Amino acid sequence: MDPLLYVLDLIVYIGIFGIVALSLNLEFGFAGLANFGKVAFFLIGAYSYALLSQIGLPFYLCLIAGALISSVFGLLISLPALRLRADYLAIVVLTFGEILRLIVKSESWLAGGDWGIAVSPAISLMGASHRVNALVNIGLVYLCLVICFLVLQLLANSPYGRVIRAIREDEVAAEALGKDKAKYKAQIFMLGSAMAGIAGGLYAQYLQCILPGMFMPMISFTVWIMVLLGGPANNWGALLGAGLVELFDRGANIAKDYLILPVDPSNLQYILFGVLIILVLFYRPGGLLKESQIKTKALELARYARGTDKNYRS
Amino acid sequence: MEVNWAQVLFNSAITGSLYLIGAVGITLTYGLSNFPNFAHAELITLGAFIGYLVAEQLGLGLPLAVVAAFLITGAAGFLCYRGIFQPLAKRGATIIHLMVASIALGFILRYSMGAAWTWEPLYFSNVWPVSSLWSHHDIGPLRVTGLWLWLIFAAIALSVIMHLVLVKTKIGKAIRATSSNPELALASGINIDRVIWITWFIGAGLAAIAGIFRAADTQIWPMTGWDIILPIFAVVILGGIGNFYGAIAAAFIIGLAENIGVVGLVALGLSTTYRIGIAFLILIVTLIIKPQGLAMLFRRA
Repeated sequence: MDPLLYVLDLIVYIGIFGIVALSLNLEFGFAGLANFGKVAFFLIGAYSYALLSQIGLPFYLCLIAGALISSVFGLLISLPALRLRADYLAIVVLTFGEILRLIVKSESWLAGGDWGIAVSPAISLMGASHRVNALVNIGLVYLCLVICFLVLQLLANSPYGRVIRAIREDEVAAEALGKDKAKYKAQIFMLGSAMAGIAGGLYAQYLQCILPGMFMPMISFTVWIMVLLGGPANNWGALLGAGLVELFDRGANIAKDYLILPVDPSNLQYILFGVLIILVLFYRPGGLLKESQIKTKALELARYARGTDKNYRS
Repeated sequence: MEVNWAQVLFNSAITGSLYLIGAVGITLTYGLSNFPNFAHAELITLGAFIGYLVAEQLGLGLPLAVVAAFLITGAAGFLCYRGIFQPLAKRGATIIHLMVASIALGFILRYSMGAAWTWEPLYFSNVWPVSSLWSHHDIGPLRVTGLWLWLIFAAIALSVIMHLVLVKTKIGKAIRATSSNPELALASGINIDRVIWITWFIGAGLAAIAGIFRAADTQIWPMTGWDIILPIFAVVILGGIGNFYGAIAAAFIIGLAENIGVVGLVALGLSTTYRIGIAFLILIVTLIIKPQGLAMLFRRA
């Protein structure tokens, strides 16, 4: 295979899963919501994109509609989530993802059932090579990634971000300060699901086909690995985690072709994933990068007054 | 279309029995350690593979395979708790971290088994006494196999034995005491660590039995346990976490719902692949409406 194309493909994957990792980071890292069914919203985005592009909508509308539909489902799922403990929520969302997969698998009139359907690429250039197509995809995916990243960075440093961290740390205290935890959790679920939906749409149009087998619970767990490894409540950490996990994935695939190992690398890869997560949980539960500091004007001023902020030291 | 209702009821008992044997371990450890162990799926699978190893690859017969699978998988369950979950909990890991750890452990076990036995499905072949188990017998309107009768017998025996253990024996009372109030149990001189270890051992051993039955009825591959883990979670949640009697009732309710549901799906002209979705639906609805499940109907045990 063309090595350059392989690298470009890797970059697209990091971008798409970077968006999903950012969205889980918002839900789990900042708001403490254990969404074990991330793949459900990824699936909704992908199938919405595929079905809407078939009736001839332009790609950007398909992406936006996928995000909206996904966020509506996020709202629906968040309604029970408001009252449930973390473990119950995890099981509900995991099961929700499996039900969705079962539906798209069984209803072959909807999207081809087990065999899936073809999806037209977002931007198709006449006679362009694979490399050019990959470059176009990188442009599109990273545009979405940057938008999501900036939105989340602004959110994290806004009063809103401080409220959701407060709810994560102590719901009762946050409620005592008049913060409606139900409203905030619902909003976080909607925003996170919308982002996962966009990533799903990008994934569908990049692979140019979708089938139920692409949306196994494994996807959700892979995204969890990205967030836990990179560092929850740190948007850079989520991106770092996405990059590392995808690199690791490719490394294992290359190892499969070129190395002779006693263990099949495709098995070894997931065994190592498991070991890695357990090591992270034991020795670095905060991930590689620490939780991002809250930045506010008042804090900057306070640091300046104490002369402890490097940027302001004379 | 003529529906053989006797067969539907009988099939419900088979499904319920399998789910019950698989669910006991999760519900007891969930009640004691306060987190759902997703790696239980892989313990089910491990039991199936150990059974296959002993019965088929070593040729020692099925009875010995069941005993070996119970002991080895039980030991694996104990080691999982002792080696990973207990130290993590001592370091202050939250319930979310423990769930993630159990999924990670599941990966390690599942893909290790994939490496050891490959991903090609394996089957118990016709060695004695297995060969007699698969032949169909028609009793009146019912079609039964020896395997199914054994499965139902195992579930009944398990229910009776577990009931006696929980009510009559010292360890059973200690399990119930620890589950309902660990601090008080500790203050009463119960070695709660030992109680939890024994529970993890027994729970994982029973998972192995469920795995062998599932494998004998269908196939063995690294996803054997994962294929039935969500219906088993439905049993655990519907029965009330940590509640053994609730789990018995829930297992048969879900068995009935699945088998009557299949009849309904066919009548509605829907795909029977939705069969497993029925348990999923019960799971979600229970959690939304009444997360404590049937627990209020039964004494906590």
